[in-house]
Parts: sequence; C-alpha cells; structure tokens
Amino acid sequence: MKKEVVAMLLAGGQGSRLYALTSHVAKPAVPFGGKYRIIDFPLSNCANSGIDTVGVLTQYRPLELNSYIGSGQPWDLDRSDGGVHILPPYMREGDQGTWYKGTANAIYQNIGFLDLYDPEYVVILSGDHIYKMDYADMVDLHKKTGAACTISVLEVTMEEATRFGIMNVDETDRVYEFEEKPKQPKSNLASMGIYVFTWSKLRQYLIDDEADPTSSNDFGKNIIPRMLDANEIMMAYRFQGYWKDVGTIDSLWDANMDMLAIKNEKGINPYDPSWPIYSRTPIRPPHVTGEHAKLSHSLVTGGCKIDGVVENSVLFHSVVVEEGADVQYSILMPGTVVKKGAKVAYSIVAEGAVIGEDAVVGAPPSDEPDWGIAVVAGGVKIGDKAVVKPHAMIREDVKGGEQA
Amino acid sequence: MKNLHGIIFACRSDANLGELTRPRNTCSLPYGGRYRLIDFMLSNYVNAGITDVGIIVHESYQSLLDHVGSGKDWELSRTHGGLRILPPFGYAERGGEYRGDMDALEGVADYLENIRQEHVILAWGDMAVNLPVADIYRRHIETGADVTMVCTPTLKGAPRFSEYVKVNEEGRVTELSVHPVAADQALESLEIYVISKKLLLDLVNYCSAHDIYQFSRGVLQPRLKELKLMSYIHEGYVARFQSVAGYYDHSMELLEPQVYGELFNLDRPVRTKDRSSCPTYYGPDAKSNHSLVADGCIIEGEVENSIISRGVVIEKGAKVTNSVLMQNTVVKSGASLAYVITDKDVLVNEDRMLMGHATYPLAIAKGSVV
Repeated sequence: MKKEVVAMLLAGGQGSRLYALTSHVAKPAVPFGGKYRIIDFPLSNCANSGIDTVGVLTQYRPLELNSYIGSGQPWDLDRSDGGVHILPPYMREGDQGTWYKGTANAIYQNIGFLDLYDPEYVVILSGDHIYKMDYADMVDLHKKTGAACTISVLEVTMEEATRFGIMNVDETDRVYEFEEKPKQPKSNLASMGIYVFTWSKLRQYLIDDEADPTSSNDFGKNIIPRMLDANEIMMAYRFQGYWKDVGTIDSLWDANMDMLAIKNEKGINPYDPSWPIYSRTPIRPPHVTGEHAKLSHSLVTGGCKIDGVVENSVLFHSVVVEEGADVQYSILMPGTVVKKGAKVAYSIVAEGAVIGEDAVVGAPPSDEPDWGIAVVAGGVKIGDKAVVKPHAMIREDVKGGEQA
Repeated sequence: MKNLHGIIFACRSDANLGELTRPRNTCSLPYGGRYRLIDFMLSNYVNAGITDVGIIVHESYQSLLDHVGSGKDWELSRTHGGLRILPPFGYAERGGEYRGDMDALEGVADYLENIRQEHVILAWGDMAVNLPVADIYRRHIETGADVTMVCTPTLKGAPRFSEYVKVNEEGRVTELSVHPVAADQALESLEIYVISKKLLLDLVNYCSAHDIYQFSRGVLQPRLKELKLMSYIHEGYVARFQSVAGYYDHSMELLEPQVYGELFNLDRPVRTKDRSSCPTYYGPDAKSNHSLVADGCIIEGEVENSIISRGVVIEKGAKVTNSVLMQNTVVKSGASLAYVITDKDVLVNEDRMLMGHATYPLAIAKGSVV
C-alpha cells in the first residue's frame, strides 16, 4: 500500500467571487473551456505525472463534484490500490470533528488517510487553477535538493507581485523569506499554491499547528512561515508555461478566451496529445450547423445546434443558438438556449439558461465606468426582448421586455 | 431487464462496401462522425437495461476489439456478466465464414448454454437504428409469441439483400420472403428476433443436425404455421449499409433534423468509445453550414453539407462540400473535396482537387495520402 507520492487536492473552496456560478457547485466543478471543469486540470496533471493516489478534499456543495469525480475513471484514477478518494470532513469519537478550518487543517484532518499510504512526499494542489504541469519534475527537484518543502513559483511583473504571495530566494533558489502581498516586493516569484512536502516533516508541522489555538491553520499564513522560522530547506520550483487563477468572473472569462488561442505557444493547448486533459463528458452526438450558421474563432462541443452567429466564444455541450441570434465573446455553459434574434456579448451564461427572442445580454466594452462581463446564473430565463446590462449578475428570471 | 440477454452478430463484412470494409468488419464501419455501427445495437441493448451481451465475431475483428474494449463505455465491464466477445470455437475444420446466423450460433453453442437469462434478443450489429428494446421485449411477453421479429414499414434495403414479411391484423407474420427479386410487401424484416433461450437452443441443435444455417429461410419460413411469429413494427429511422453510395446517402440523411433527432434520441443515447476529445475549434475564417461535426476537430477552412468525424483537421483555404470525412482526416490548405468519403487517417495534401458524384461518391482508403 505504500506510495512514494500522494496528491491532496483542496477542493472545498466556495469560490464566492464567482457569485452566481458557484451558488450550486463548488468552484472546482465549474465548467471550463467547452468540455472541462476546473478540477480536470489538476486531476489530469496528476494522471499525466504518474501520480495514482489523489485525495480530493471537499466541503462546500460537494454533490456535483462527487458525482463528477465518481470512480475517477476518466482520469485513469480508478485503481484497486490508490486511485481518487473524496475526503469530506467527518465526525470522530464523541463530538470531535469540525468543518475544515483552513487548508492546513484540511490536511491535518486527513492524516489518517495519508498514513494509509505512508508516502515519502505529499503534493498539495488547489482546484482553482488552469495549467499543465509535470508534478514529477517538481518532486525530482524536491528530492535532489533534500528539501522539506518545495513551492512552485511563477515569475510575474513587479507590479503584479504586490497581489501575490512572494517568495524571496537566494542564488540557489532556496527560499529565505515569504511575503504576502508585499507593498515593496523584493522578488517577482509568486507562489502558485502548489507545494511538495516531505510527509514526515509536514505531518509534525500539522500536528504542532493544530495545537496552536491562535493559528488560522493555513499553509500560506502558518505552515510555510513556521517552517521558514525553523530553518527548514524550502526550495522554489520555477514553473514556466500557462497558469491562470480562475477565482473571479473576469479571470474565468479571460482563461476561457485563452482556450481559443490554440496556435499561441504561450496559451494552453488542449489538442496536445502528449499532455491530454481528461474530462467526464455526457453522451452527446456531434454538433450540427445550419444553413445560417456563422462560426468563427470559437469552440463548439457535442450536441450543440448552431444556426446563428457565434464569434470568439466557447460553447459547451447541447447549446442551441437559433437563426438570427448573435453570440460574441461569450461563454455558454451546457444546455444554454439563445433564441431567435437574441444578442449575447461579453457574457457568461450558466447551465440551462434560456435567452429569449430578441433579448440583449451584455455588451462590448465601453467607457461606462461599471462595464464588465455579464453573468446569467444556471436555469435562469431571460424573457423575450429583455435587456441584461453589462456587468449584471442575474440570479432570477427576467420578464419579457424588462431591464436588469 | 434482468431476464433478457443480448446477442450481436458481428461476423459479416459486405464486399459491396468496397474500400470502406476492407480493413474491417461492417460492424466497425465508422458512421455519424463519432460512432461505429455496432454502437447502435450495443446502445439499444444497454439502454433497455440488458447487462449481458455476447458479440459473435468470425474474422477481421481486430478493429472491433479495439473499439469495444472491455465494454466500459457501454457500462458492460461488469463483475457478473457484461460483455463477451465470441470468436469461433471448434469451427476450424469447416473453415470459411459463417454461412448464416444459425451457423454462427452453433459456433458459440457452449456460450448459449450458459446464458443466465430466460430470453434472448438477436440482432446484426451493422445497422444504424435507435430501438426501444425494452418495449419490444414487453410486447414479446404480452403476445406470448414464440419469436418476435422487428420490422420496418419504410423499406431501407435493396430487395436482393433483404427479407420481407406480410402480417395479419394481430401482427402475426403470415408470409416471409427471403431475398425476393422485387419487394411487393409492405414490411421489411430487420432480422432482429426475441426468443426464449430454451427454444433458441432447441432450434440451434435442430439446425446443427440438419445443416440448416439460416434462421429466416431454414427455420421461420417452413414453420410459419407452427411457430407463433409476431412482428414488432419500428416506425423510426433505420439505416442499413449495402453499398458505398448507400453509405453516403445514409450519412447525408443525418443532416435532416428528424433523422438526427430519432437516431440520437437523448432518452436512449448512443454510446461510443470515449476518446476524451477536445471541443472542436473553428478558426477566424472558418465556415460551417449544414454539417454534422464531431468533437476534437480543428476547422479553419470551409465545410458544407458534410459529416466531419473526430479529430479531423481542415486547414485554412481548404473546402469540403457534400463529403464524409472519417476520423483524423487532414485536408491541407487549398485542397477541395466534393462528394468524397475519406476513411480514417487520410491525408489530402495542398491544392488537391477530389470530386465524386452524389450517385458515385469517391471513397479513399484508410491511411491514404493524396
């Protein structure tokens, strides 16, 4: 049962900055890129990196995520030894047991799970980033340097550095200091929230951290600083390639648009057969295009029926765009219907929403101070000729002809 | 559907399909952008809740094995029952293809003995149809038929390949003609039967002893009075594949919304091997009209009136009209295709012009470079 490497994927976050998109699902289960969910990226990375044992820590609205992961078969993680395990918080003897109080506490509560596999190394991942990464390469660096902890970092600009947790390193890339959102950054190496720990070390730090009532039980806030204070070997692993946090409406929209840049080497190419992104997809026939369809620079998925104009957009399965409808720079999640004459621009429309005839949702960027991406929540009906303003967050039906 | 067992015959390849069936058995002929023909019958069975399916194969079944694998994409990878591939056993001394369905059943007689269900449905795996198998089975039980035969009122085959029946007002078959010169009957048999395991075994033994190798001609025709042979009429779309032009026509029929809706009925979804494809990407100058396009394609050129399978690449400046492109076909820029069927992995280089005709589509063999 012993495994060299076990990955723990923190998927309990509510994703409150995605507002209506996470009112029914946890952030990692939010649909992404036409065919995927956010969690497909770290799970596929695990599979492609040869990690066959993954714990997925869930807490907020776990039902859809649980059924999505299922046996782990799409990611080849349905194993008799190891495989993917959903790890919700649970009660212990007496009235012990709590919700996961923080990222470190989530792992602490699952020490028992990790002990089953008695790994040498634990990879800590989060379920809200879009990237392709070979974790095995990071583990190699960790082993070679004899580190207690290796932190994956991305080079950002100095301006951006003020928004990230920044690792200050010496000439060997050993971390000597960690600063959360520094006003005057000393380095441009931003933590990506991906860690490799030597399990025996981390295990003890988690136990000590739990014993400290003042701790907020968080990796970034507590565990990493504590390990630095104790002069543990902490290494920065420089990641190169596409990486995007999709924790906000804007960044989620951006990252979806990036999926269209399949020829851009800096983008994330889902067509690359050497690093496939796996997903669990419902059974749908090929999509059909009608006489009036006009499709350009867009992703389209099975079961769609397109007879209108679709440009610069990402369409998930079973989307219907009727004749005379016009969809620009938008993300239409599974089963969205855009009826005749409707216009959808710079919007994210969630699963099963219906945009009525001649309705207008969102608008191209303008000088208006509150311009932004419009969001229509799942299952919402926008009536005929209704108008949804840019930057609106629509959670309830909008009646025909009304403005929201 | 605990009491119904599924058998699929996947042991004929039709010479009339030319290039399309040279590398494969007709059951593994690609169709509809992402399917192999066998997907339809397998899905019909699975959607009715059938858990045990035997597929009878004879030769050139490698591509079929690749496709169905363990049966997991049809939920048939099971601890008890599930999918079984049945190659010939103890048939070597006779050699050659199975001469008919009874011959094939005799070849797997041991398997039939061990079927744990009381009833069996038998069908060929080389047609595209979305059948309500649960309903067919229910009717079989209700009518107390010895054999229920699925028929279609819309003639789909050529008379010389097909079987036709006449039925009385109760739906009992009164006349059966096999491969007539002309079809004057209103119903075509789809050669799909529901029968009890016990009767099937008796008939297989009888046929074996008397060297009868065809169920319709050898068993049903002479016993029409003795056996209660009931018809089940399926009104929906059926495609049978008996020539390259027919394959082309049936492919184009998928562009009719009614056919698409019937065949890809979401209540009875057609399952196929999951390739974990990406979405299809349309480039800035792409055009796609009146076409069926599977996932995983990169389309930067123009597509019209065509069927585009998974993983196809159509470069900028290329033009594809009235064509069927199978998996991973690549059409380079400036190339132009009309009335063409390309098999898997065909590469059409820059500025090539290929043109067939609606009545004589040009079929390009698997892996060809043009």
